[in-house]
Amino acid sequence: MIRPVLRLPHPVLARPCEEVNDIDETARSLARDLLDTMRSSAHSVGIAAPQLGVSLRAFCLDVSGHRKARSCHGEIVLFNPVLVASPGRDREREVGREGCMSVPDLTGDVARAASVVVRGVGLDGEERELDCDAFEARAVQHELDHLEGLLFLDRVVSPERIFSRRVYR
Amino acid sequence: MAHVAVTAIGADRPGIVARVSGVLVDHGGNLEDSAMTILGGHFAIMLVVEVPDGQDVGQLESVLAAEVAPLGLTVAVRPVSEPDPGGGEVADGSETGRSWSVSVHGADRPGIVHRVTRLLAGHQANIVDLSTRKVGAGDGSAYVLLLDVSLAPGTDADELGRELAGLAADLGVDVHLRPDDADVF
Repeated sequence: MIRPVLRLPHPVLARPCEEVNDIDETARSLARDLLDTMRSSAHSVGIAAPQLGVSLRAFCLDVSGHRKARSCHGEIVLFNPVLVASPGRDREREVGREGCMSVPDLTGDVARAASVVVRGVGLDGEERELDCDAFEARAVQHELDHLEGLLFLDRVVSPERIFSRRVYR
Repeated sequence: MAHVAVTAIGADRPGIVARVSGVLVDHGGNLEDSAMTILGGHFAIMLVVEVPDGQDVGQLESVLAAEVAPLGLTVAVRPVSEPDPGGGEVADGSETGRSWSVSVHGADRPGIVHRVTRLLAGHQANIVDLSTRKVGAGDGSAYVLLLDVSLAPGTDADELGRELAGLAADLGVDVHLRPDDADVF
């Protein structure tokens, strides 16, 4: 079901989310809503549960076909995702301009790790570990931030690198 | 509600923003949009402030001027029209312009900003942000110019890039034009 996306300054967007205890029908229903809502917006490549008002550690994303993508795992749904430390390879950072459906009027330049490994539980209840780089890595980090109550606004490289967004539908 | 533009500039020191914003809050003002930065050692403030209807703009300027005089600030308050809430968006939601960044750097010389912006204006490109930095002093000093521009629909970005490259060669600087489309998550 497509659900309304909460916008700044909704308090759910600003607080850390709770763990998902069981991948049960409630969790699968949340995943369907995340996917439906993401698919309903032509510009969106990912969405996190708090954006739907659910303060649980879950997100979905899909960078398929995106021109900036290198790694691409297709449609991803992860519960309780965490970054996996990978010494010596996560140092490179890239600056990119990000927008967010929950911050409709602004974009900002954010430095993100160029590659990350993320581990979480998939829809089937099995643990998954995904090695992501470039655009997919950026999307993963943006969604993980949502689960900590952080928006891209909390990460912009400097105050003058926030911009008024012209149009997104 | 009405809107006023507030500008102020003076030698940088702690407390300027608190003083200026204090006067505005006392007059029922709401800071709708603001840019403040240090320019050549001076602290510069530009604000668009929503104020109650009927607010006497001249009186507000007098009070503000008196309040910040001890800080050595020059201030001006002027009425402005209502900001465009759509940010240039047109009724059907299609894009009114594409966002691009232009960076220029090289040895400092007079006319860099003028020549670059004249070329952009010739293409109806709208500058939405511009900042410059001078690096070093004397003969070896370098100049950096950063612009965010909105290109008019139908603009040939490749052609604009070629013209900028030609200008850069003429000025002896490097110019880069790149799209700044944000990715939405």
